[in-house]
Amino acid sequence: MIKEFIQGLSITFKHLLPGHSTTVQYPKVKLQPSERFRGLHRLVPTQDREKCVACYLCPTVCPAKCITVESAENEKGEKYPKVYQIDLLRCIFCGYCVEACPVEAIEMTGNYELANYHRDDFVFDKQRLLNTK
Amino acid sequence: MVNLTIDGKQVTVPKTYTIYEAAREAGIDIPVLCYAKKLLPFGACRVCLVEVEQMKGRLIPSCTTPVTEGMVVTTTSEEIRKVRKTVLEFLLVNHVVECPVCDKGGECELQDLTYEYEVVTNRFVGEKFHYPTDENNPFIERNMNRCVLCGRCVRVCDEIVAHGSYSFVERGFETKIATAFDRGLHCEFCGQCVSLCPVGALLPRPFKFKARPWQLKEVDTVCGYCGNGCTLTLGVKDNQVQTIRFNDKNGVNDGNLCIRGRFGYSYVNSDQRLTRPLVRKGGELVETSWDEALEAVANGLKDSKGAGIITGARLTNEEFFLLKRLADAAGVTSLDHSGGECYKVLTEGVKDVLGLTASTGTFPQVETADVILSIRSDFYETHPVFGMVVNQAVKRHEAKLLVLADKKGKFTKLPNAETLLTRPGLEVDVLNAMCVALLEGGKARTEGVSGIDEFKQAMAEFAPARVAERTGVSAEAIVAAAERLAEAQKGAILLGYGLPYTPASRELGLAAANLALLAGLADQEEAGLYVCGEKANSQGAIDLGVLPKEDGLGAQAMLAAAAEGKLGSLYIIGEDPLTTYPDGDRVEKALANAGFVVVQDLFLSPTAAKADVVLPAASFAEKDGTFTNAERRIQRVRPGITSPGEARTDYAIFGALLEKLGAQAPAGPAEVFGELCAGLADYPQIGLDEIGPQGVVWGGEKLAPKTRNLVAVGGGKSAEGRFLLTTGSSLYHSGSTTTHADGPLAAVPEPYVELGREDAAELGIKDGDSVTVKAGGVDLKLKAKVGARLPKGLLFAPSHFAGTGLNRVFRGEAVVAAEVAKG
Ligand code: SF4
Ligand code: SF4
Ligand code: SF4
Ligand code: SF4
Ligand code: SF4
Ligand code: FES
Repeated sequence: MIKEFIQGLSITFKHLLPGHSTTVQYPKVKLQPSERFRGLHRLVPTQDREKCVACYLCPTVCPAKCITVESAENEKGEKYPKVYQIDLLRCIFCGYCVEACPVEAIEMTGNYELANYHRDDFVFDKQRLLNTK
Repeated sequence: MVNLTIDGKQVTVPKTYTIYEAAREAGIDIPVLCYAKKLLPFGACRVCLVEVEQMKGRLIPSCTTPVTEGMVVTTTSEEIRKVRKTVLEFLLVNHVVECPVCDKGGECELQDLTYEYEVVTNRFVGEKFHYPTDENNPFIERNMNRCVLCGRCVRVCDEIVAHGSYSFVERGFETKIATAFDRGLHCEFCGQCVSLCPVGALLPRPFKFKARPWQLKEVDTVCGYCGNGCTLTLGVKDNQVQTIRFNDKNGVNDGNLCIRGRFGYSYVNSDQRLTRPLVRKGGELVETSWDEALEAVANGLKDSKGAGIITGARLTNEEFFLLKRLADAAGVTSLDHSGGECYKVLTEGVKDVLGLTASTGTFPQVETADVILSIRSDFYETHPVFGMVVNQAVKRHEAKLLVLADKKGKFTKLPNAETLLTRPGLEVDVLNAMCVALLEGGKARTEGVSGIDEFKQAMAEFAPARVAERTGVSAEAIVAAAERLAEAQKGAILLGYGLPYTPASRELGLAAANLALLAGLADQEEAGLYVCGEKANSQGAIDLGVLPKEDGLGAQAMLAAAAEGKLGSLYIIGEDPLTTYPDGDRVEKALANAGFVVVQDLFLSPTAAKADVVLPAASFAEKDGTFTNAERRIQRVRPGITSPGEARTDYAIFGALLEKLGAQAPAGPAEVFGELCAGLADYPQIGLDEIGPQGVVWGGEKLAPKTRNLVAVGGGKSAEGRFLLTTGSSLYHSGSTTTHADGPLAAVPEPYVELGREDAAELGIKDGDSVTVKAGGVDLKLKAKVGARLPKGLLFAPSHFAGTGLNRVFRGEAVVAAEVAKG
């Protein structure tokens, strides 16, 4: 019995030794999330505009109803989102918006550092989403 | 009746049915693309293929194949699915797939079918179309790259609208739908083709990129413009009417609309709307509280020199009812609507002959009529969607159309139409001559008709030959037309009526009713005489008796009294008399000399600008209640949006005024509807919620005449001069409200004077030139419009626009002599 006891504790003690810790020293050290991680959204730009064509599929599918799109016509007669906005405080990071998009205009990045001081800072408008890396 | 089996189900249907219709009746769904309920079968798309036991070996298009006895039909099987899928693949070969940016996405029939049949890849490849989009007009965008060549637009524009804008051009893969010379669309912009296009090839431009169909709240209500009473389904989002949705299930219009109903909604969202009550202080209209404004109105109504109330005819029945109660509570006996003289007086004429103040039949009955007499070609302009029923009667059922008018128009161009082109203002004379012709020729239906001998004597001067001299319509044509009408199995006389036509209203009513009686139309089982008021609830105003009391004054008398300073106060609701009433000078004087003027309207109209108190009211899209249309159909009006700012419905305003006067205001429209029905013998005794999607026609489908009295009528008055000026409605406008709506304004932005080609050439006037019309001692500066509609010597100017000054020329005449010159 004592043998098993020691065996078990040895694992614990091993982890106390330097170089064996799984705790990351955030924020000095940052984790690399997986490819499929669903973090902050990003609107994909094209040469002269956003790729989004304001089809309203993402606000329609969004279970949290946190996406606001307002479509309009630009000078070239194309449909574009005059307003595109995500309220991250309501977002549940389900990724449905990405799945629904017919033109792959919205993606989710690995950015998980979303804390902020004001409620308003959680509202990501089109420009902020386009600037997301 | 025919018996057949569809998917194992026994079905019995009339023998005129197609397999598709039989299946639909049995609740079995067959997909369709080119089929449309109101159009003739076409069979262009082959999506509706089914298997018929008796015709094994190939699949049969169910939308064009009539049912036969003993047919055994299978509507779904593996093979049928495969074939339908292939058909869809063919359609998608050159159809651009741009659903994300196509406004039809979400309600596109091609999209739905593609989804249902799981067309995810295409075995066929081909070039996509690269046609430029046609955006030449502000109403309809045509993107032929999305067209599936179903032909619905071609057919609706031909079969129902009778405009014939489109046709198929080229052959094979090159086939496309084009307008004349492929120059882009230029038509009457009723939007019917947009409603019927199954894909996004035809789209309403004012709604471009505004919203997705699933985001819109749909509210079924009734068009607030004309007496046709079409069902409108409002597409509402963000408390704004974004568009008008297609709805062929409700109402009497079968989904058909005219430009005003389809594209004339924007005024309800206008930022020009009044949002707060105004009172005049120190000569200026300034914003005030409701309480102060209502207090002032309540005091004004009790003015010792007497008060008068003039209302428009776009209020709901419930509002009329409350208004009457309000008048009683304030002791006001001078109450009238719509200028008083026009539709009201017309119905009085009809009443003297037939004992009725409404149309005898319903609109759908006219579709199968065999002879139709339209008095004035403008009928299509005042009541376009009823006009489309006439189109169908003529084009589909080969009805004979007789048009009695002073100018040509849409009706006169229909096949089978015969026009009796009279000098302006003399329609009554021709109608009288037709009556005389029937009596003289022994063709008149006279059983039970009283007053024949007096009528014959009094009408001697209307012998066809003599009338022919005066009116320019040949005596033979008059006699032949009268006889045609008398021979009809199912005949209809149509008379559309509104403010611009004020003169000789009573005479026209009498003459038309006399003719309906003598030609036997009044006593037919269906159809008969149609008198159609101009505004959405003209009929309701008559039914409810929004009329002066015995010792009260009518609208014109009120204005005359006010002009002489004999009326203490004037309360004007939903009307702009300064723009639309005859004798604008007198109206101006009345507004200046009345002690106190209240105007209740949506906009600061020219009349409202002269008022002492202005109350901001609500549009039809904000109201709850009922309208009664020109065929006596009582229909539900439902609110789609809330009023801007502090604006209130007329209902709420009358209620508040009643309370100010110490009377009790009733709870809601439902209660009032019950009360008003209880007070009218002809109205159905039902609750507001029992009015179904088709409305309720009071008095039943056919109203039998209560009396059969011939009444002699004097003739009309024309004028003498090189040019004669007439006024009336333009198809694109209705009253003056449409001059605040983008759609109608885009089609006809400004007042104009129309003249015939011959005259224009003689005077050297071209389309769009500015001209001066001198008439009645007034100079009018107008744009010229040159067309083929008018005979030599006739000028026409529409009455809708404020500031034209047309009603300073017309002081109660139908026609005035005029001079016209360039510059
Ligand atoms: S991740 Fe989910 S909840 Fe967040 S915006 Fe997208 S759809 Fe909405
Ligand atoms: S689904 Fe894509 S294209 Fe459509 S609105 Fe959202 S981001 Fe834009
Ligand atoms: S809008 Fe009306 S008139 Fe014009 S093409 Fe379409 S159906 Fe024909
Ligand atoms: S434009 Fe629309 S309605 Fe006309 S043929 Fe093409 S798909 Fe059919
Ligand atoms: S204006 Fe008259 S005809 Fe046109 S849609 Fe409205 S009710 Fe129908
Ligand atoms: S719906 Fe029958 S062929 Fe198109």
